[in-house]
Amino acid sequence: MPVNAGAAEPAADRELTITRTFDAPARLLFLAWSKPEHLKKWFGPVGYPVTMCEMDFRKGGRWRAAMTGPSGQQQTPFGGEYLEIVPDRKIVFSNGFELPGAEKMIMTVTFDEKDGKTLLTLHTLFASIAQKATHVGAGMAEGIASGLDQLIDVVAALKSS
Amino acid sequence: MEQLDLVFSALADPTRRAILARLADGEATVTDLVAPFDLSQPTISKHLKVLERAGLVSRGREAQFRPVRLNAAPMESAAAWLGDYRRFWEESLDRLDVYVKDLKRKEGRHASKRRRR
Repeated sequence: MPVNAGAAEPAADRELTITRTFDAPARLLFLAWSKPEHLKKWFGPVGYPVTMCEMDFRKGGRWRAAMTGPSGQQQTPFGGEYLEIVPDRKIVFSNGFELPGAEKMIMTVTFDEKDGKTLLTLHTLFASIAQKATHVGAGMAEGIASGLDQLIDVVAALKSS
Repeated sequence: MEQLDLVFSALADPTRRAILARLADGEATVTDLVAPFDLSQPTISKHLKVLERAGLVSRGREAQFRPVRLNAAPMESAAAWLGDYRRFWEESLDRLDVYVKDLKRKEGRHASKRRRR
């Protein structure tokens, strides 16, 4: 399958949005995303510390990172390019595994501060609906679509019936 | 193509998702499915073939009606996959919450030191 095979699929079917409100100003959250020494402290699930992280934090700059799982083996590195940076407001970057033919997703993180609290919105646009999970071991799956949410409800309804 | 790819490709289409949602209410014949969609029977049949190939539906054996029914298992693996991605970020954001509170506390300490000077 060519790298951009999914580009014709509607964007709405390739999106996923996660939001969270933090009791902290936007500039601290922006800081936590913009320097390796900070990112290493929180990125990834418990038990999968970031053991390699390089960032050229500017528009057009590249970043890469890797996590080490409980086996002690460093996992496949992933990374991409910073596409847009608005200090304390927004970071847009591509993200994909360093594997031949691996597709890149586009991630947009926005920070909306109000009364000292910050709403963080993490939006993922996947390259294709069928974008493959290549890192399931680390709980990191390159995935799919908000259109699936309704199906998850259907599955949940079937389970409870 | 792997099974999960077939499932995701099948789920990519809104008509096919609507067909699955309809089948979640119970099995249906092709005629039942044609009625609410304003699509021709061949079009619906084509969608059903895609869903069948992905293992999302199965057809009965009765030659004339061949009712279509939903198979939930492949959808559950697709949902589990999406869940993995979401969980990755939810857990990261839990840790970010702890970390950013720590940053805030440290900053507060520095600020009060400055005030004392």
